[in-house]
Amino acid sequence: MRLITAIIKPFKLDDVKSGLESFGVHGLTVSEASGYGRQKGHTEVYRGAEYTVDLVPKVRVEVLVEDADVDDVMDVIVKAAASGRIGDGKVWSTPVDTVIRVRTGERGPDAL
Amino acid sequence: MTVEATAYGERRAELLVRPGMSGPDRRRSLADLTDAWIAGLFADADGAATGAALVAVGGYGRRELSPGSDLDVLLLRPRGLADRSAARLADLIWYPVWDAGVRLDHAVRTPADARRVAAEDVRALLGMLDLRHIAGDVALSEGVRSSILSDWRGLATKRLPDLQAAARERADRAGDVAFALEPDLKESRGGLRDATVLRAIAASWVADAPHAGLDEAQRTLLDVRDALHTVTGRSTDRLVLQEQDAVAHHLGLLDGDQVLLQVGSAGRTIAYASDVTWHRVEQAVITRRGRTRFLTGPRRISATSARAPLADGVVEQDGEAVLARDARPAQDGVLILRAAAAAAQNGLRLAPHAIDRLAAECPPIPEPWPAPARDALVSLLGAGSAAIAVWEALDQAGLIVRLIPDWGRVRSRPQRNAVHRFTVDRHLVEAAGRAAALTRRVDRPDLLLVGALLHDIGKGWPGDHTEAGMVVVADVAPRLGFDARDTETLVTLVRHHLLLPDTATRRDLDDPATVTMVAAAVGTSELLDLLHALTEADALATGPAAWSDWKAMLVADLVARTHAVLRGHTVAPPLRLTVAQESLLTEGQLAVSIEAAAYGLEVTVAAPDRVGLLATVAGVLTLHRLAVRGAETVSVGGSALQVWTVLPEFGTAADVAAVREDVRRAIEGRLDVTDRLRRRDEAYPQRAGHSAPPARVDLVPGASETATVVEVRAHDRPALLHRIGSALADAGVNVRSAHVSTLGSEAVDVFYVVGPNGGPLSAAEARALAERVRAALG
Repeated sequence: MRLITAIIKPFKLDDVKSGLESFGVHGLTVSEASGYGRQKGHTEVYRGAEYTVDLVPKVRVEVLVEDADVDDVMDVIVKAAASGRIGDGKVWSTPVDTVIRVRTGERGPDAL
Repeated sequence: MTVEATAYGERRAELLVRPGMSGPDRRRSLADLTDAWIAGLFADADGAATGAALVAVGGYGRRELSPGSDLDVLLLRPRGLADRSAARLADLIWYPVWDAGVRLDHAVRTPADARRVAAEDVRALLGMLDLRHIAGDVALSEGVRSSILSDWRGLATKRLPDLQAAARERADRAGDVAFALEPDLKESRGGLRDATVLRAIAASWVADAPHAGLDEAQRTLLDVRDALHTVTGRSTDRLVLQEQDAVAHHLGLLDGDQVLLQVGSAGRTIAYASDVTWHRVEQAVITRRGRTRFLTGPRRISATSARAPLADGVVEQDGEAVLARDARPAQDGVLILRAAAAAAQNGLRLAPHAIDRLAAECPPIPEPWPAPARDALVSLLGAGSAAIAVWEALDQAGLIVRLIPDWGRVRSRPQRNAVHRFTVDRHLVEAAGRAAALTRRVDRPDLLLVGALLHDIGKGWPGDHTEAGMVVVADVAPRLGFDARDTETLVTLVRHHLLLPDTATRRDLDDPATVTMVAAAVGTSELLDLLHALTEADALATGPAAWSDWKAMLVADLVARTHAVLRGHTVAPPLRLTVAQESLLTEGQLAVSIEAAAYGLEVTVAAPDRVGLLATVAGVLTLHRLAVRGAETVSVGGSALQVWTVLPEFGTAADVAAVREDVRRAIEGRLDVTDRLRRRDEAYPQRAGHSAPPARVDLVPGASETATVVEVRAHDRPALLHRIGSALADAGVNVRSAHVSTLGSEAVDVFYVVGPNGGPLSAAEARALAERVRAALG
């Protein structure tokens, strides 16, 4: 099993969600995140005062999948999250030892 | 009669499902069954021989056992009983109870211990006031019960403040039964613990609670708690969203909303009874002791009964806002709002008897509302969190629905939503309270506050709440006296109250089409600022899940980009002079006239222009107790014309001749206005009031080519304009024109100023000027 983590632009969340649903992934975790990569911060002018936005708002999506599905799921996310501009985000996967479904106590792939 | 543990378990299980067995009967039967079992354990352990007694305290003492309730039991040991024997006896009783899987809250105490604990810990005291004998030496139980009760009666005036502080802390922590969407039936304000506290107060003989509906309300909460314990199989008092439908089904109600409505109404009854009772306690304690350490709101009650004026017809007495002796509620419908605003602005409670009198005597306010009524509403809402308690007190007396009939549709209305924390009505009041902190960010604080109050009013009607809300607001706003333009703004605020958060989180902000769409929807920078502030107030009032720095950042980004598209900042147009005013101006002499206007009085002053004239006249008006609500001033040639809209602070008309004379003396330097104001200020008690957001002073670049434009947004207070005017005069700048408006308790003032050379200031001078004005208001 693997954990796929994606950092994407907030407005792309709906696209990513529907992409994953049509692929057959029905559970995911979403959290608010902020950070920067090559996009860096940018300077805004608001009411005459300049301020620097050094952290850019992002959404963090996490999905647990079976090993066999990793590449496909990552492709789905990348395709859905792309706007072609800087700051589109990143997707990576990490190995996962064990998963337990809290309600039933099921373990491993059954718990996905 | 002895009941074995297994037999107890079986009989208990049977009792909990017995058809037709519910409510108080079942709670009592469960307590009786438990008594028999525990008494059996006591007898089996030969407890009677030791001279000890077993008593029930707390809910068990009141025979109010829900399926998941703990058993609160106390083993009273006589002084002669050795520690070892007492411990052995306790083990023989507690272990079988634990083994049966019943939750037990237990203690072993001598009568002296019990008295000491009751004297030290109000919570333990509350439990022990309900002490009930189960087994053993009746005289021992009775002795403890009566000594605790007499201790309580003897020291109640000392200990009630602790009990009140504990109740306040609990209310702050656990919220309101009446307004929370997931209320804690026990701990929230208006919950079961408050009902217990009311009984304790009654037992102290200091004050009694109003009984109307109280038993019924408590019964409702207990019935719901029984159902909650039954459907969850756990001992929990928080009625969470996911259990509400099951609880409704168990109680034979239609759905979770019905449960919440019943619980909310019970909570209101208990909370109201608590407020009235605590008020009676405070009054009783003041009379008995002359001094008190009760806290009411941000300040302490003074022992004296001196009356200090707050507003026309409203005075402060004993830490409360009450009606003045000369108040005439029967001829003065607006008094309801004026009294409420005065109370909230000064961080005081509106006295219950004042509310009763307002409810009984005040005639309806004519529609459309006159400006003073609208202004008082805005001032009330502008008091922020201090407004909430006052609003609630008016609502409890039915006054809010009388003022705004549509309010009835959202009153106590639950909303099935995981993000919201409050019922619709409380969410709206809370949103207005939050908006009060954001009034400096908009140029129309009144529209922000009223928009926040009404933004979800459509939730009282079927269908989409935004569409319904637009229809309602289009109807309500004119009745509150807003003109067609303001009404349109309010309707637009309702229409788009979700636009910014929805767009910011779901649309690509880098896509020019996104920003263009928002700009087209809002139209102007002013409306965008209003919407931005409303969005934040709405989200903060919704619940912790609705607003975060993350979301704030996205929304601020969208707003900044949209501002860049809309650009521009319109400021008030210059004053148009009437023929009469023009002739006054050309004469170049001092002239002062005062006339009655639609709202208060209109004071016209024509005078030779000079630096500081604005501050001087503003100061004289304040000295004459004329509150400045608006002003338009213009300088032409060597003369200045000022048209002031003022409101006599305490209803008495101004003396024209005296005002004219003082203006003349002040201009000629024979009257030091600043000094007089300072001395008067010092003579008055300082009220904590509510904490208004700090003043804001902005330069508006590009608004004028011939003058520097300074915009001040501040909480209104006596002599505000005098201070600003003095700061401008000290900087040596001349006010070419000024546009002053006071909306509720928030002032939005724009000044066109020119330097000694008659032209706009340099950028550095302008910044220094703004800094100077800021410092004057700090």
